[in-house]
Amino acid sequence: MPDSILIEGLTRYYNGFLALDNLSLRVKWNEDVALLGPNGAGKTTTLKILCGLLRPSKGKAYLAGINVMEERERAISQVGAILETPEFYPFLTPNETLRYLGRLRGMSGRKLDDRIKEVLKLVRIEDWVNVKIEKFSRGMKQRLALAQALLHDPPILILDEPSLGLDPRGMVEIRNILKEARKKKTVFFASHLLTEVEQICKKVAIIDRGKLRAYDDIARLKKKYRSFERAYLKLTEGAI
Amino acid sequence: MSEFEKLKVVTKYEFLKQYRRKRFYGALAITVLAVVLTIVLYKGLDLPGRMRIPDSPELFAMFVTSMSSMAILGAVFFAGDAIVSEFERKTGYILFPNPVKRTTLVVGKYIACVVATAIIIIIAYLMSAGALLGFYQQVPGGILGSMAIALMLACSVISMAFVFSSVFKGGMGATIATLLTYMVIFSVISSALSFAGYDPWFMPNRAADAMAATYNISFGQAFGGMFGGMNMGPMLSSSPDPALSFFVLLGYTVIFLLISIWLAKRKEMI
Repeated sequence: MPDSILIEGLTRYYNGFLALDNLSLRVKWNEDVALLGPNGAGKTTTLKILCGLLRPSKGKAYLAGINVMEERERAISQVGAILETPEFYPFLTPNETLRYLGRLRGMSGRKLDDRIKEVLKLVRIEDWVNVKIEKFSRGMKQRLALAQALLHDPPILILDEPSLGLDPRGMVEIRNILKEARKKKTVFFASHLLTEVEQICKKVAIIDRGKLRAYDDIARLKKKYRSFERAYLKLTEGAI
Repeated sequence: MSEFEKLKVVTKYEFLKQYRRKRFYGALAITVLAVVLTIVLYKGLDLPGRMRIPDSPELFAMFVTSMSSMAILGAVFFAGDAIVSEFERKTGYILFPNPVKRTTLVVGKYIACVVATAIIIIIAYLMSAGALLGFYQQVPGGILGSMAIALMLACSVISMAFVFSSVFKGGMGATIATLLTYMVIFSVISSALSFAGYDPWFMPNRAADAMAATYNISFGQAFGGMFGGMNMGPMLSSSPDPALSFFVLLGYTVIFLLISIWLAKRKEMI
């Protein structure tokens, strides 16, 4: 069985600036891995390449054994994603937005209706189902972003700062949803919040200036560096 | 799910987005106002009498339906930000990570823009037909040809706007670039060619003039008196061929749309 996520020698330049430097990672099925690093480390670039939004300058990325660059649509069907701070069409409601995305993902009829209700309830915006998104706060949009990522019950979740813009209650709720999701799914998410990473994941990939600095169990890193924070600081020493 | 099914889904929701925007109603209001004003001015100022040509349903239709070109403004406003807004407003982070080809997204958006514009154009022509029936108790057959050219003009302008929308970083820039290209650059080229004695039949704005050339009234006859015998070149002295103009606009539509798909496929969410 192929790995859930496989990254081989990913390199990406932005106008001569090296954002990813020969990054390689392997994430097994139902593993929960955090991509941790300082600002500009290459976390979002990695996730964007995995979701087919960017092309790598070099290297390959596979989702469920499918090459993202060669079979983007087939590979991406395995994934639910939140990238950067996503925005929604302000003139549509959550119901219309999820119906649109659900239909694009091959869902329809009663199954789609039920699933929309289910995910909106899960992220606690079921009372806003027919309100235009232009009236939504940042936190509510983030909840809707998680709802659309979970909509088609994908085996892989790729999330970039999933609790960004949420109040403390929202952060706890999202973390609980992800803790539940990781029992059945591969959760691969980027963050620079050590506490969040510790709470959601067992394994962490620390990257800095596009290079992989460590890829290990959090417990092992804690033991080796005496605390997770010290491990992070030591491994990203050169960061600004 | 086939890519055609996905195209239908994209078109449906992209049209819903266009339909819910204020600019749809703004474009509709401007077009309706333009048609009404033309009718009022034509009758109120007795334009045929002042131009010393006999009034006829064909002449009336020629003036009134040419105002439907105002719908082009709508086309530009719908299409200018159709692609670039996904990047500018970050909605692409939700739309693009889906199992759908970029080509399908562009074509779906294109069809949605065409449908939104076509609704406005058809309403304008229905108003013109209603006025013709009211004043002359008949509707010239040329009105259908005129509407076909107006629709094809809208398709070509939307295609051009899609090219700019695939290149520019902002929707406003793409919209202004389309308007400037169509209304200034193309007009300057066509006028220069016309004054030099060449018929710029291959220019989109010249082809668009064919909207008024389907009523069997020559431009020389209709506009000749307006310029006091000045030599206005082929653009105002001779009518463009409607069939040729239709295919010229179709050519621009296809070429610009293919270019916009090619560009949009290469555009990255950086």
